[in-house]
Order: sequence, then C-alpha cells, then structure tokens
Amino acid sequence: MRWLRVYVGVFFVFLFAPILLVVVFSFNSQRSLQNFEGVSLQWYRAFLENESLRGSLIASLEIAFVTMVVGTVLGTLLAFGLVRARSRWSGSANVLMLVPLVTPEIVAGVSAFLLFTQVGMRLSLVTITLAHITFSISYVTVVVRARLAALNPEVEQAAMDLGATRLDTLRLVVLPALWPAVVAAGLLVFALSFDDFVLSYFTTGESPQPLPVRIWSAIRFGVTPTINAIGTLMLAISALAIVLAIALPRLLGRRESGIGVLLGREGA
Amino acid sequence: MSEAVRFEGVTKRFGSAAAVKDLNLTVQSGEFFSLLGPSGCGKTTTLRMVAGFEQPTEGQVYLDGDPVATVPPYKRNVNTVFQSYALFEHLDIVGNVAFGLKRRKVAAEEIKTRVAEALELVRLTGRETAKPGELSGGQRQRVALARALVNRPAVLLLDEPLGALDLKLRKEMQVELKAIQREVGITFLYVTHDQEEALAMSDRIAVMNGGVVEQCGSPEEVYEHPVRTFVAGFIGISNLMEGTIEGDGVRLVGGARCTADVPADCGDGTEVHLSVRPEKIWLDEHEAGMVLLEGTVAARVYVGTTTQVIIELSPGAQIVALEQNTHRSHAENRWEIGERVTLGWRPEHSLVLR
Repeated sequence: MRWLRVYVGVFFVFLFAPILLVVVFSFNSQRSLQNFEGVSLQWYRAFLENESLRGSLIASLEIAFVTMVVGTVLGTLLAFGLVRARSRWSGSANVLMLVPLVTPEIVAGVSAFLLFTQVGMRLSLVTITLAHITFSISYVTVVVRARLAALNPEVEQAAMDLGATRLDTLRLVVLPALWPAVVAAGLLVFALSFDDFVLSYFTTGESPQPLPVRIWSAIRFGVTPTINAIGTLMLAISALAIVLAIALPRLLGRRESGIGVLLGREGA
Repeated sequence: MSEAVRFEGVTKRFGSAAAVKDLNLTVQSGEFFSLLGPSGCGKTTTLRMVAGFEQPTEGQVYLDGDPVATVPPYKRNVNTVFQSYALFEHLDIVGNVAFGLKRRKVAAEEIKTRVAEALELVRLTGRETAKPGELSGGQRQRVALARALVNRPAVLLLDEPLGALDLKLRKEMQVELKAIQREVGITFLYVTHDQEEALAMSDRIAVMNGGVVEQCGSPEEVYEHPVRTFVAGFIGISNLMEGTIEGDGVRLVGGARCTADVPADCGDGTEVHLSVRPEKIWLDEHEAGMVLLEGTVAARVYVGTTTQVIIELSPGAQIVALEQNTHRSHAENRWEIGERVTLGWRPEHSLVLR
C-alpha cells in the first residue's frame, strides 16, 4: 500500500503546486514571476485601484449572485415538478434535464450567442446572466431532486394527517428537510458562475466584462503579477462559497453537511 | 355504542387490480379494532382510505356517521401512527407532538399542557428537547403515538406501528398500547400481520385476505371458531385435514372418522377440511365421548413451556399436538419417535371448514 500513498501524494502535488505558485507570487514585492523577493500587497492594491478591473470583479459577483438566486429557485421548482408530476413524459424529462450538463460548453456558448443575436438582444451583463442561469438550473435540479426523492413520503402524509394544508406541509416539513440541498446547490452554482469563462466569453458585451474574460484579454499583453492577485482573490471567493456550503447546515444545527448532500450522501 | 367508522360497499382498485373488494364493516367507538392479514391483503389500503390518503373507487367511508369522500386528510378528525413513524427530523420532540395542535390554532398555554400530558402518557417526560435522531426505536415509536394522540382524534389509525421493534420491546409495547387505549378511550383502528399482536390487544378482529374480510369477531371467536380454512390457518397453528362429510362427522382421507358439528348446508359427501387446534389434543389420556385417532410419533420439538409432538396418522397425513410441560410431566423421555400413541379431542373441538 506504500505505492498508493506515494501516488496520492504526487497527485496532490500536481493538483496544488500550480495554484500555490499563483498564490505565492501574488504576494511578491517584485515584478518577477521567477524569483520571490519579499512579501507585499502591492499587486492587490494595483488591482483594486484599477477602476475597470474593479468593475469586472463587481460584474462577476453580480452575475454569480443573480444566477445563484434565480437558478436555485427555478431549479428547485423543476426538481419538484420532475419528482412529483408522474406522467408518461417524466422519464424523458428527467433525461432531457441532464443535457445541459453534458453539452460541450463551447456549443452552449455559440448557441447562446446565436440566439441572443437572432432575437436582437444587445450583449451585456444581462445576456451573460441569462446564459449562466440556463446551465445552473440543471445543477440545482440534480442536487435537489436527489434529496427530494429520498424524502419519506409518509412524512408529508403525517403533516397532512396532523392538519397541515399542502402549503403548510411544503413550508413546515418539505423545505426544512430540503434546504441543506438547496443551499449547497445555490453556493455550487455561485462558484460555477463566478469562474465561468467559455459561456461568458460568447455572451459578454463591451464593458464591464466578467473577471475571467477580463483576465483573458489582459493576458494577451503579458502576464503581470496583478493577474496572480486577481486569481488568488477569485480562488478565495470560490473557496468561500464551498466552505459555506459545508458549514452553513452544520452551524444551524444539522448533522449533515452541504457537501454530503452534493455528493449524494444521506444525512442521519 | 355509536359507530366510529363504517365502510359501505367499499372497493378500491389500483389500475385493474382490486386491493379491497366490497368491504362492509362497522367499527364501534371506543373499540380496539384490528385489521389482520398477510401483506397485500388490503388492510393498509383500508386504513389509508379512512385517513384520506386513498379514495374508494366505489362505495363510501363514514366517520362518525358522516360520509367523508370530499374531506381532505387535513380536515378529518383522525390521526395516523405510521409504520415508518414519519417523525419530523428537524423538530424536537415537543415540536413534533405540538405540530397538530398548532395547525388547529389551539392556544399556546393549552398546547403546553396537552403536550406535557401526552409525553407523560407515553413516558417520554424529560426528553422534550431531544431530536428524533437521538432516540431509540421504541422511543421514536412513542413520539409518533403521542404526536397523534395529543389531538384527541375520533379514531386513531395505526399502521403496523410495532413492526420495526424487536420482539421483547414489541411485547412490552403491546401491553402499553392496550393500556393507553383503555386510558384515553379513543377508537383504535389497528393494522397488523401479526396474529399474536391482534389477539393480545383487540376487542374485535377483521381477518382479511385478498381484499375481502374472511371473518370478523372477538379474538376468541376468530381463534376458537374460525369460519374459513384461511382464518384457521392464518391464526395460530391449525391441523387441517381433508375429508368428506359422513352423517354427523367427517371421514378423513386416511380412513378415520371424526365426530363433529356439521354445518346445516353440508350434505353427505361434501369435501371439507377438519381443523383441530394443537392444544386441544390429548395424548394417551382420554375422556369418554372423545374423538380418538391412532398414530406414530414422527418428531418432537421442545420449545420451553410446551413440546410440539408431530404425529403421523397415515403416510403423509400429520397432526401437531401441543403438550404443556407442567409439573406433572417430564419434558424429556416423553413421546419417543416411532412410539404408537392414541390421540383424542372433544368433539366440539372438531371444526368443519369449507
């Protein structure tokens, strides 16, 4: 089993070394991308003082936030529809819903671009957000649907049996059982939207552009340490979303974590 | 006594399969009434029609004399103890038990008293703030019971509530359930496949099979006087022997003739089953007027308080006798295998079944 351990060790080095490099050099006091000379926050300052870059960060956060809220609501509703509505189409609907997850993103990007230009929509933050919501619904639905299907139907019947109307049952029994999955799915979608590049690239307007697209344009004129600072910041924001997904249900007294829900593990 | 639940010609079909066929049954208020039968006999469907989770395809269900076809589950004055307990895992014990009262907009003070009373009734005082996940199976079962009982429903519906418990706990809960029912005086409609459970607790039992009630009566009636072969076979151990009617008795396939009460509609030559309960059979000790048969001891199963003696009457025809291991007899060394024995029972214990 020694080999297995070595393998796992090597795997993690390859996984984290490049990321670690970006993080370390974002704090470099010199311009060099080879030698680390000393700790400084100047590249972060440079980033935040650049109005256009700051605008991109805010744009990315806005897109991710709206995507999270709208995508989570629509995805949760779709999950209900797929689990509850028993018709002869529900089988096909369940499969069709997975299509966005396996569609090559470049295809999704091109088709979104074509659609928006066909209907004469000017490319802007709105078009990016619409594109992001489209794919995020599938993610939310997959996560919430798994949770919903695992819910004991007798629990809902018990609520009705005790005098709860359908709406009461949803509010008092189903949603409390579902919300770790909903929160986890929402934060996952936030992270995905925040660092999405391909779809954003095809649907973005002139300015402000979301951060990943902005970095891409900047890199054409050479990698600067500012890029490292932006990368580190993005990493921190994405990581925060994931940490929240794990921690929120726990902090509020649930014995299961959001990540467990995402990975399909059942809570106690 | 007034009626609590009445089924009038109730049929429930799922697709083309009928789960319940033309059910006519009345449950009196204050009764502990059991629906007993194997899985798939329609007993749970029957219960769910009272709760309102299923609608009859034909016929009508009455609660307190009123038809309830158009009444949704949340407006029916009945509560259910589910097989899975179906507790609300995100609420503590008080939250679970108070759920129904809150929906009925009962005043906060009254909710507090009634929840405390209900928890005392099921002996869970002190566990108010525990979450269901922290409780044992028996405790979860009692929360489910308190959650339903606290609403003082006209009828409490119980769907195999003891099914998930181990044997010892199940026996304890049987006694406890019966005591609680007597104390609160609420009508219990109890679904089970466990005949012993039904016999121990019920005032009356409806034995169901294939969507129909085979027999309905007190535990003594359905055990001592089963009217159908299915009932005799399902409740307790029965010795079912094939034979034909001959005068005031039955000629068994093996050749022996047994005196029995022959139903009026059974003429000579009618093919019937003769049933005798194992504990009614005497081995090597007889009274005048008994039905007597000869046989060979084929096997002996010692089960503690009793010994099952399996006797071969003729090749292929076996009969089980239950001998009490009381102070008068020694369990060991009795009924050696291969020994010839005479077995006998009183004629009134011969049951002729069709």
